[in-house]
Amino acid sequence: MWQTASDGITYLLSQSGESLLRLFWFVAIFEIPRYMLGFIAVTVLSFCPKTARPGAVDDDRITVLIAGHNEEDSIGRCVQSLLEQSRPPDEIIVVSDGSTDRMPEKLRQLQERGLIQEAHCTQVRSGKSAAVNLALGRATGDIVINVDCDCTFDRHALKRILEPFADPRTGAVAGNIIVGNATDSLVTAYQAIEYMISISQGKQAADFTNQMSCVSGAFGAFRRVALHRAGGFDAGGGEDLDVTLKLRKAGWRTLFDAGAICYTNVPETFSALVRQRFRWERDAVRLRYRKHRDFLNPFSAAFSVRDLAHELDFIVFNIASAIVFPIYLVWLFVTYGDLALTILIGAQVGMLVLDSLTFVLAALVAPRVKALRLVPYIVGYSLFNGLVMRFVRLAAYLQEWVFEASYRDTYVPSKVHRVRW
Amino acid sequence: MTAIRATNLEPASHPLTGRRVLVAEDSPTTHEILKLLLTQRGHQVDIATDGEQALEALRRNHYDVALLDFHLPKMDGLQVATAAKSELGGRDLPRLIAITADLPGLLAHTGGCENFDLVIPKPLDIYRIGQLLEEQAQLRDEQQAEIVEPGPQPAPAPASVRQPSAIEGLGYDFLLWPQDIDVRRLSARAMQATLGDPRFDAILITQPVSVEALSSLWERKALYVLPIVDLTGTLGQMADFDGSQLSKVDMERLGGLIRDFQDRRARLHRDLLLSDKLGEQLIGRMFVANRPLTAALDPRYCHLASYDVPLGRRLVTREAEVLCEHGLLKREFFERFHICPACDSYRLHVREECSQCRSSNLSEEQYLHHFRCAFQGPEADFRRGDQLICPKCHQELTHFGFDYDRPGTMIVCGSCGHAASEPSVGFVCLDCGAHTDSDVAATRDIFSYQLTDGGVSFAEKGGTVLGYAREALRFADLPLELVVALNAAAKKYNEDKTPFALVNILYRKESEIVAEHGARRFAQARDLFIENLRAALDKPNTVVRGQSYDFALLEGIGPEQAQVDLDHLKEGASRALSFDLGAQFQAFGPEDFS
Repeated sequence: MWQTASDGITYLLSQSGESLLRLFWFVAIFEIPRYMLGFIAVTVLSFCPKTARPGAVDDDRITVLIAGHNEEDSIGRCVQSLLEQSRPPDEIIVVSDGSTDRMPEKLRQLQERGLIQEAHCTQVRSGKSAAVNLALGRATGDIVINVDCDCTFDRHALKRILEPFADPRTGAVAGNIIVGNATDSLVTAYQAIEYMISISQGKQAADFTNQMSCVSGAFGAFRRVALHRAGGFDAGGGEDLDVTLKLRKAGWRTLFDAGAICYTNVPETFSALVRQRFRWERDAVRLRYRKHRDFLNPFSAAFSVRDLAHELDFIVFNIASAIVFPIYLVWLFVTYGDLALTILIGAQVGMLVLDSLTFVLAALVAPRVKALRLVPYIVGYSLFNGLVMRFVRLAAYLQEWVFEASYRDTYVPSKVHRVRW
Repeated sequence: MTAIRATNLEPASHPLTGRRVLVAEDSPTTHEILKLLLTQRGHQVDIATDGEQALEALRRNHYDVALLDFHLPKMDGLQVATAAKSELGGRDLPRLIAITADLPGLLAHTGGCENFDLVIPKPLDIYRIGQLLEEQAQLRDEQQAEIVEPGPQPAPAPASVRQPSAIEGLGYDFLLWPQDIDVRRLSARAMQATLGDPRFDAILITQPVSVEALSSLWERKALYVLPIVDLTGTLGQMADFDGSQLSKVDMERLGGLIRDFQDRRARLHRDLLLSDKLGEQLIGRMFVANRPLTAALDPRYCHLASYDVPLGRRLVTREAEVLCEHGLLKREFFERFHICPACDSYRLHVREECSQCRSSNLSEEQYLHHFRCAFQGPEADFRRGDQLICPKCHQELTHFGFDYDRPGTMIVCGSCGHAASEPSVGFVCLDCGAHTDSDVAATRDIFSYQLTDGGVSFAEKGGTVLGYAREALRFADLPLELVVALNAAAKKYNEDKTPFALVNILYRKESEIVAEHGARRFAQARDLFIENLRAALDKPNTVVRGQSYDFALLEGIGPEQAQVDLDHLKEGASRALSFDLGAQFQAFGPEDFS
C-alpha cells in the first residue's frame, strides 16, 4: 500500500507539465476554468468595489409575501424578524397553504395583534406557486418580497434588497442566503461552505457579469409590475429559477445584493440533502432544457448573448462535468491500472488546494459568514463536493432526462403535476 | 340597670325638637316604659290613665301626638278620638295613634280605623315607637303648614277614572300603588302595613311603574313581603302575579298565592319582617315567596337580566353576593354577558366585521386554483358569464378537480377592501354606540340564588342564628312588660338581695311542627303551654310570650333552682298538648345582668 503510494508520488513528481495535462485533463477542462472564473471575479470585486447604488425611492410601498405549509413553529419568528427591519415592510401577507397544523390559528393571532395585514388559509394544499400567486393578487406594494417561513433576516436586509430597484430596469433582486445551522451536522457545515462559495461569492460574481439567473425562493424581491406581467409564478417546482428566467426573457435585469442577508436552515441529514438536490437539479434540467429551451435557440427572440453565458456555464460546469467525470475515471483505470488511484488522490490534493484558496477568497468577499469555524471542514467539503455531489447531480440529471421524475415530485400536489407544463 | 341597658341599645337618633306627647294607657308598666323611652328621646310626656282624663288633657293642652290605648277605663280610645276630632279642629288636633292588642275589636267598630292616623299593634316594639311618633309629628307639621299657607295645591292626580279590576272585588285587603303607596307617600293603611300588620294581603299595581320607583317598597318596613299583583302587565316577572288578563284559573291561583304568602309571612322572623337592611329583606322576600331569586333575560334593561323581585338587577346582585359570602344564599349560574367597556351596558350588537376597519360590510368569496398555471384568486376574477376563464393564461376551466379546485374562501370587506380568511367578531353597544372587539370585551356572570339551609333558618329564627347577636339575651326580643318587671326585680335584688331568675324558653321542635302542621297550630300549642306553665308555677311570676322565645321571670329563687323547678313542671305543662314542643329552659340569674 505504502509502496504503491510512494511509487505514485514519485511518478507524479517526475511528470513534465505536458504529461501532467495528459493525466489531469478532466481537472484542466472542468475544474481549473471554474476556479479561475471565481478568482477573477473575486479579484475584480475586491479591487473595484461596487459604486454605492443610489437608495431606493423611499415612498415605494413594500409587501412581503410568505407562503407556508405547516409552519406553525417558524412563522412567528419570521414575522418578528421582518418587523425588526430598519425598513419594515408596509404590508405582510401570509398564506397557509392547506396546513394541517395550527398555522391558521397562529396567523389569526398575528393578525389580531396587527403584526401582519392579511392572512389567508386554504383548506386544500395548492403548492407553493399557487399560494404565492394568491398573496400576489392581494399585494399592494410596488416591490413584493418573497420569503420562506424558515428564514430570518438581518436588520438591514430589506433596505439593502430595495436599493437596486432605484434602477428602473431592475426586475428582481436576490438576497444573500447564509446557512443558519452550519454547525448542526457535518452535512450542514459542508452546505455552509457551499452556500458561501456559490451564493455569497458566486452570485456576487454573477451579478457583476449580469449573469444572476436564480432569485432563490428563500429571499427575493420583485418589482410587482414585472412579476405581474410575467404572470406570477408558474406551476411546478423550481419556481424561483423559472420566474427569474421569465423576467430575464422579458428584458428585466435580475441582480444580487450581498448586503441583503438572510439566514436559512438547510437539511441536516445526508438523505434529506440528497432529496433536496435531486429536486433542484431535476427542476433545473426541466426548466432550462424543456420550458426555457428557446434561450439556446439562436433563431428565437429570447436568444441573447447575455443569457447564453449562464446557459453555457450550467452546461459545461454542471452537466458536462457530471457526465464526463465517470468516463474520466474509467479511462484512468483502464489506462493506468493500479496507478489510477494515486493519480486520483493527486488530483484531489490539487483540488483541495484550489478549494482552500476559493474558500479564503469567498470568505474575504462574504465577511458576514463566520468562515473561521468552517475551516476544519474544508478537506471533507472538497471530497464531498468533488466526488459525492457530482454523482448525486449525475443521478438527478439522468433520472429527469429518462423518467421525467420532476413530474412526480411531492413538493407539488399531484393534481397539479397531472396538468402542468 | 337592665332597663337602662335596654334603652342604651336604642340608636341615638334623637330629634332636634322635643314633641309634646299624650300617652293614654291604663297599664302602669306600659305607660312607665313609654314615658321613660320618650323622655329620653327629648319629648315631653303627659300620662292619662283613663279615657276621660285623656280627653280632658286633649282639650286643655296642645299635643303633637297622642297615643291612645283602645281599651281604656270609662271611655275607650276610639271614643276619645271621635270626641276630640269633633271638638278640636285643625291646629289643635294632634296626630292620633291607637295602641291595641285587640286589632280585630278595633276594626269591628264602624269607622274604627278612620279616626286614627295610625294603629300600632301590641306588643309594642320599643325600638320603633319613638321613631313612629316622630314621623307622625313631622306629618302634622306639614299638614299645619298647609293649613296656614293654602298656597298652590299640588295638581290633583289626573282624573283618569280607573276601572276597578275584577281582582279588587275578590274581598282581599289590597294596598294600591300609587293610591296607597308611592315613592314619597304612604296612606294610613299602608303605614299600618309597615308595622307588620298581617291583615294586608297584597300590593296591587294599578298604574305602570318603573322598577326604580317600585324599589322604594324596600325602604319601608314589612311591605316587601307582600305579593305584588300587577294589573298593568308591565312588570313581567318582577310581579308575583300578572293580573292584566284574568281567567277563572288565575283567580284560584291568586287565592293560593295570597294564602301561601300569608302562611310563610307568619313564619318569617320579626327581625326580618321589620328589617330595613336590604340583604335581610331579600332573604325574607325569598323565604316568603318560597322561590329562588331567579334571573331571567330582560331586554328592557341595559343589564339584560332582571330578578323576580321589584328591585334593580345591580342592587340584587350586590346584596346577594354578600349574602353568598355569609353562606345564606348559594349561586346557580344563569348566564354570561359581555360588557360594553364604555358604559357597562350588556346590550351589545354582535357582528362579523372586517379586522381592519371594523365594517360589517363583508362578503365571502371563494377562490379558485388553476392547476396548470398556478393562478389562484377570487372566483370573480375567473367569471365570464357562465364560463370560468383563468385571468392569467386565458384558458377555460372545464373540470373541477382536474383543471381547478376551490382550496378556500376569503372574506372581503366592501368598505376597505381588506381580505381575510375569517371575519373578526365585534360588539357595538346599543346604548352608547361604543365598539369592542369580542376577544377583549370583559364578561360578567349572572347568577340565580337559592336560600341555603342557613338562609332558611335565618328567615325563621332571626339574627340569633347569625352569630353577631348570639348574646344570651337580646333586649330587643324582650316584651315590654318583661323589661319593666325585670327592672323592678333588679332593683329589689340591689336593695335586699332577693334572688330572681329570668328563664328563656325555646322550642326545639318549632320548625318540625310548623312544617308538619302549620304555623298556626304551633302558635296555639305554644300559647297553651305558656298558660299551663303560668298556672303550674306557685311562686310570684311573670310568664310572657316573646318573639322567638318565651320568657319566665321567677322571683325569690336563683337560676339553678329555677332550672330544676321548670324542668320538673315541663312534663305537666306539656301533657295536654297534642304534640311535643321540645321546650327547653335556659335560666339566668342577677349575675348575668351585671
